[in-house]
Amino acid sequence: MGGSVGLKGTDGQLWKRAVELGAGPVTPERTREFLGRIRNRNRFDLLVAPGRMGELYAPKSSQVVGKTGEKTTAEDTKRIAREMVSRGAALLIFVGGDGTARDVHDAVNRQVPVVAVPAGVKVFSAVFAVSARAAAELVDVFLEGSELEEQEVLDIDEGAFRENRLASKLYGYLRTPRAPSFLQRGKECSRSDAASLESKEVLAAFVARSMKRGSLYLLGPGTTVKAITDSMGVPKTLLGVDAMVGGRPVGVDLNEKGILKLMDSYEVTKLIVTPIGGNGFLFGRGNRQFTPEVLRRVGREGITVVATRDKLQRLEALRVDTGDFALDQTFSDYIGVIVGDNERIKMEVRC
Amino acid sequence: MSEGIELDLNEMPYPPPENVIQAARDSLEYLNRYTELSAIRRIRELLADYAGVAAEQIVIGPGSDLLLREIVLCFAAGRKAVMASPTFLPTVQVARRFAAQLVSIRLSQPEFSLAKEPLLEELTEPSLVIIDNPNNPTGRLLLDRETVENILDMPDTLLVVDEAYFEFSGLTFAELVAEHANLALARTLDKAFGLAGARIGYLIAGQTFLDAFSTSFAFLPQPSLQAATEALLHPGYMWKNVQSIMHERERLCRELEILGAVVFQSSTNFLLVRSKTPSLADELRDRGVLVMDVSNQLGPGFIRLAVGTPEDNDAFIRAYRSIMERKGQETIYE
Repeated sequence: MGGSVGLKGTDGQLWKRAVELGAGPVTPERTREFLGRIRNRNRFDLLVAPGRMGELYAPKSSQVVGKTGEKTTAEDTKRIAREMVSRGAALLIFVGGDGTARDVHDAVNRQVPVVAVPAGVKVFSAVFAVSARAAAELVDVFLEGSELEEQEVLDIDEGAFRENRLASKLYGYLRTPRAPSFLQRGKECSRSDAASLESKEVLAAFVARSMKRGSLYLLGPGTTVKAITDSMGVPKTLLGVDAMVGGRPVGVDLNEKGILKLMDSYEVTKLIVTPIGGNGFLFGRGNRQFTPEVLRRVGREGITVVATRDKLQRLEALRVDTGDFALDQTFSDYIGVIVGDNERIKMEVRC
Repeated sequence: MSEGIELDLNEMPYPPPENVIQAARDSLEYLNRYTELSAIRRIRELLADYAGVAAEQIVIGPGSDLLLREIVLCFAAGRKAVMASPTFLPTVQVARRFAAQLVSIRLSQPEFSLAKEPLLEELTEPSLVIIDNPNNPTGRLLLDRETVENILDMPDTLLVVDEAYFEFSGLTFAELVAEHANLALARTLDKAFGLAGARIGYLIAGQTFLDAFSTSFAFLPQPSLQAATEALLHPGYMWKNVQSIMHERERLCRELEILGAVVFQSSTNFLLVRSKTPSLADELRDRGVLVMDVSNQLGPGFIRLAVGTPEDNDAFIRAYRSIMERKGQETIYE
């Protein structure tokens, strides 16, 4: 729930801060969308966690498992997951981010297959579906007798993440239905070899030269976007959203509110983003400050995508999962990605 | 020649027949002389006859890759170059260096098709479109006649179709060249004719391209020219080899699929294979089989291999199987 307010996670006590900043939970919408999209709905019984952990959004016929207090914790997730398995659950479904995936891993490991519905700020593990709709497809695939395969769960260091560093290590594996087109791949770290750095410098210089003086530029996370500000001698929050006008910073580590306020002051807003290496997400992973409202106001024509050739060539397609499917569909076409000086690769965008 | 099974360069595994070798050998005693104009004229006529076009439309050169390079050098400076991605890398590299702009349309996975609309949208300014059909390294046919005509109808657009693997795909747009000045097809005798070492390429060129090439004249090496002439006089040997390769290609596909590999449908003499083993090309090389690692174009686990002789293919399968067995029951990407 912390993404739109610029927090880089809600683990531990950070959710309180997210609420103070005006964030609403994204899980209810995701859960409803997911449940509503399962085709074989009458072929299984649903066990759900109590209250906001599931019961509130599930059909009335669902059986509630376990109890929780007013505030729920990771321990609740683990205990209830174990209880569901002990009651014979054939498939465990969870809605959340990498932290939830780790809790589920701790609780049940590979005892039962899982379907992971993406809804957190950090959703970098390969175990997650590409969207709530894709998660529903995975349930159907499972019900139709799919084989299973193991997918990675990553351990992202939250402290490092908030300090502008992305540090991750393999935490373990969970089993999912085998349907690669519905699963996101894990994030690949950006390359730092000489060729890759040179390639970033060339495209960064090209983009910097193309920037118009009077426009507001919103710069998304990632080392490729940071290369643009580096080429201009301007600092950049590596894992956050900064804003620039006329080559000068006008906003640092912005949340949705800050972005919208800045947009009110400028006639033209441009947004520069780079897809996540390995899974190709443009929006909906790691940059939830770019909410559907921000994206609608910027418009598709105001979005510039940059990436190194090497990163793009390892991707099957680009992806969007903003939580607003109608908006996502407006991106479902080909988009030109700047990869060098006067060089673009047009990539398919899927949602 | 290097040791091992060479399946990395999409070559024909069968050597030229004795009459072709003899023709090249006979020409050696005239190496002190430039190639006679009549020999050049002769091969243009033979190529025209083979392609079903007029001899005036044939431009010959030392390999279709160099002819493609010449086209980029002639036309791309004031134009946007539009290509597929992935595609034949040397052409991309020269376009990146010399074109006013380079736009590549990423092929849509998993079937590796070329989306028409994103391509046509780019042709609103002077453009040079270069598409390999079938595509290298995927082996897929990317263009149909309607798409070709759509591209040719765009204003100030030149289209070059690389038909290096025409004999395997059976699809050509040669019949469109006479009426479209802005179309050229690039072909080669390197692949189906098995004359990679002779380096004979040719264009079936529309008038715009013919004008650009009117001042260049390729005095191709005598042995190459004589070998190519002899091969064109007796194309039956080539067609027999093409049939054998296509037969073997289907057998290789089946065997690889039994071993759990993902093999992509091919209209060429090579196969694109995806495995979950990122180091597959290296591991095959350690077992004496050379294949092309195309992970830099398509991501980890992709290799491209030429279809070899039945013995070459058996050796490849044995090597592949031993790698998979060593890794246990390998799970392969879908």
